[in-house]
Amino acid sequence: MKSHVIVVGATSAVAQAAIRIWAARNASLTLVARNSDEIARIAADARVRGASDVVTAVGDLTSTAFIMTTVATFDASGDASTLALIAYGSLTDSTRADTDVNYLATELDTNFVSAALWAQALADRFARVDCGGGTIAVISSVAGDRGRGSNHAYGAAKAGLTAFCSGLRARMHARGVHVVTIKPGFIDSPMTAQVAKKGALWASPEAVAAGIVKAIDKKRDVVYLPSFWRFIMLVIGHVPEKIFKRLKF
Amino acid sequence: MIPRSLDQPWGRGFSAKHSHAFADGGAFPRATGSVLPRGLGRSYGDVCVNDSGTLLHTFRRDRLLAFDDVHGILTCEAGASLADIAQTLLPRGWFLPVVPGTRFVTVGGAIANDVHGKNHHISGTFGRAVRSVTLRRSDTGLHRLDAPNPLLAHTIGGLGVTGLIEEVTLELARLPGPGIMQETKLFGGKSGDGGIDDYLALDAESKDWNYTVGWIDTMDKNLRGVFFRGNHCDGPDEWLAPNAATLTLPVDAPRWLLGRWSARAFNAAYYRAQALQTAKRSTIPLWQFFFPLDAVNAWNRAYGKRGFIQYQFVVPTDAAREMVPRILAHLRESNVASYLAVIKTFDDLLSPGRMSFPMPGTTVALDIPAPNDNDRRALDRADAMVADVGGRVYPAKDARMSAVMFQRFFPQWRELEAVRDPMISSSFWRRVTREGE
Repeated sequence: MKSHVIVVGATSAVAQAAIRIWAARNASLTLVARNSDEIARIAADARVRGASDVVTAVGDLTSTAFIMTTVATFDASGDASTLALIAYGSLTDSTRADTDVNYLATELDTNFVSAALWAQALADRFARVDCGGGTIAVISSVAGDRGRGSNHAYGAAKAGLTAFCSGLRARMHARGVHVVTIKPGFIDSPMTAQVAKKGALWASPEAVAAGIVKAIDKKRDVVYLPSFWRFIMLVIGHVPEKIFKRLKF
Repeated sequence: MIPRSLDQPWGRGFSAKHSHAFADGGAFPRATGSVLPRGLGRSYGDVCVNDSGTLLHTFRRDRLLAFDDVHGILTCEAGASLADIAQTLLPRGWFLPVVPGTRFVTVGGAIANDVHGKNHHISGTFGRAVRSVTLRRSDTGLHRLDAPNPLLAHTIGGLGVTGLIEEVTLELARLPGPGIMQETKLFGGKSGDGGIDDYLALDAESKDWNYTVGWIDTMDKNLRGVFFRGNHCDGPDEWLAPNAATLTLPVDAPRWLLGRWSARAFNAAYYRAQALQTAKRSTIPLWQFFFPLDAVNAWNRAYGKRGFIQYQFVVPTDAAREMVPRILAHLRESNVASYLAVIKTFDDLLSPGRMSFPMPGTTVALDIPAPNDNDRRALDRADAMVADVGGRVYPAKDARMSAVMFQRFFPQWRELEAVRDPMISSSFWRRVTREGE
């Protein structure tokens, strides 16, 4: 069966890699992103690689108005997608967030509030009769499993997103909408380009994207990518807070 | 695709200090020192190194922008890898007209080094397939270069210094399928120095084969070797994609494994293995024919922590018969250890780049692990032998040639220097353009 996929935040490295996998399967794609030049290039790439149809929507992903109008456009055009990947995020600079409350608010809004709104709006659309169910895959992060000193704002937003997805999955289960929570570890991408030393824990966007597509195909609920992060986070989750608060990572 | 190392060249052996920038399609990056565009860093030496400067990485700009599958015309971003292009378009019957020994290079890198392959006598260099290039310069902005254009002729084989190659339009080749019908023939192996004659005779009778190359045992006085020739053919659908590399070299080979006695033993074993093979004619997946080493991740670790250099020279047709054995004898008598040397004859197809390496003649490429002072002196002497007969050494693989020698091999280098982007430089370019040495 040919799939129809909506990708929100299509310019992220992981999203681009996932789009390539779907394009090679001749999927039809609806790509949503902020940067119009980039999205045009990604759409062209998807077409060359075999996507049967590509449409794009450009706007501020964090704007509630844009979220509502975009989903309303899907309603109006009868967009055939029954799969959505929500793939954008911003790696928050914790030091800046310490002193710049406006920045902190924007970051929390980007990483949690707006992503939750997309998930909600798309889940609701898929649950309606004309779609007949579907799948929402949301890229959260291992950082959401426990707030760390070096990463408190980003981790908190992703913790919120993880909890939201878990609840949404339960709410939507009876309505035929499946929610996949994706928790990648470190990804070697433009978002983390400033991190100089990259060791064995770092995964390529292509590997993470392959894991995402597999998790969606298999209707998994929560996946860690690569899977060893489940064990790392299990250990990190069990460090007593008295010790944890002294750790500098 | 992500490079294995952002700092080291594929030959390893030295590390440089870099700042890193990532091409994003926007303005040329601001940097205090010089900037060098870099693809996947598969060059062996310092053409992909810019010590104390900035590397401008292009590997994320890898989108395929348009493909005309009637005429095989592809437009892509310059960071697209040959691996990606080949794998995406082979199922539709198209392949790159020229591939080097690894598919893990970018289109931009293949143009900047004007790479060649086993079909040089039929298709020439990679640059011949280039229809147009979009070049971003720090001083004059964006240029679209269509052949023939003098700046395009300097960009092809221009080692990256004319600007950042952003987009490329290429002419691909139609294939009958994913197979290669391959024949192997032994040459040399007798007493006397007939190896080179046997090789040249085999090469001469194989001109209508699409791909020809020889493996040559440079540790053997008689220059024995194995000649490979192949043509495209169809094959099963499983051959349309390469097998994922399942083997990764986890550690560096120890030093004692890399001396000349090991090289002798290795080469002798390889020759015997080829001689024992009963099937002299076989059909294999093209991936295996073109990219045998790509099947091993990080194969450069086989040469140990101190890395290796690759020495590739070409001598003109008239001089080949005499000079190839003489240069190899000189290296052997100087106790230079070499594994997996490759010999190939270039035909007279014109290279489109002003600085392209191939010229009509015979080329030999040798891998030399962890070169010491003795090896370096022997190679300097070999450079002079090559220069004396009007040959060249390949910059894309070089990490050691002197400025004087480079300027003898490529007297046209000043033309490239004249159109060099003022912000771009590389460790290689600084090394070989020094004056008065």
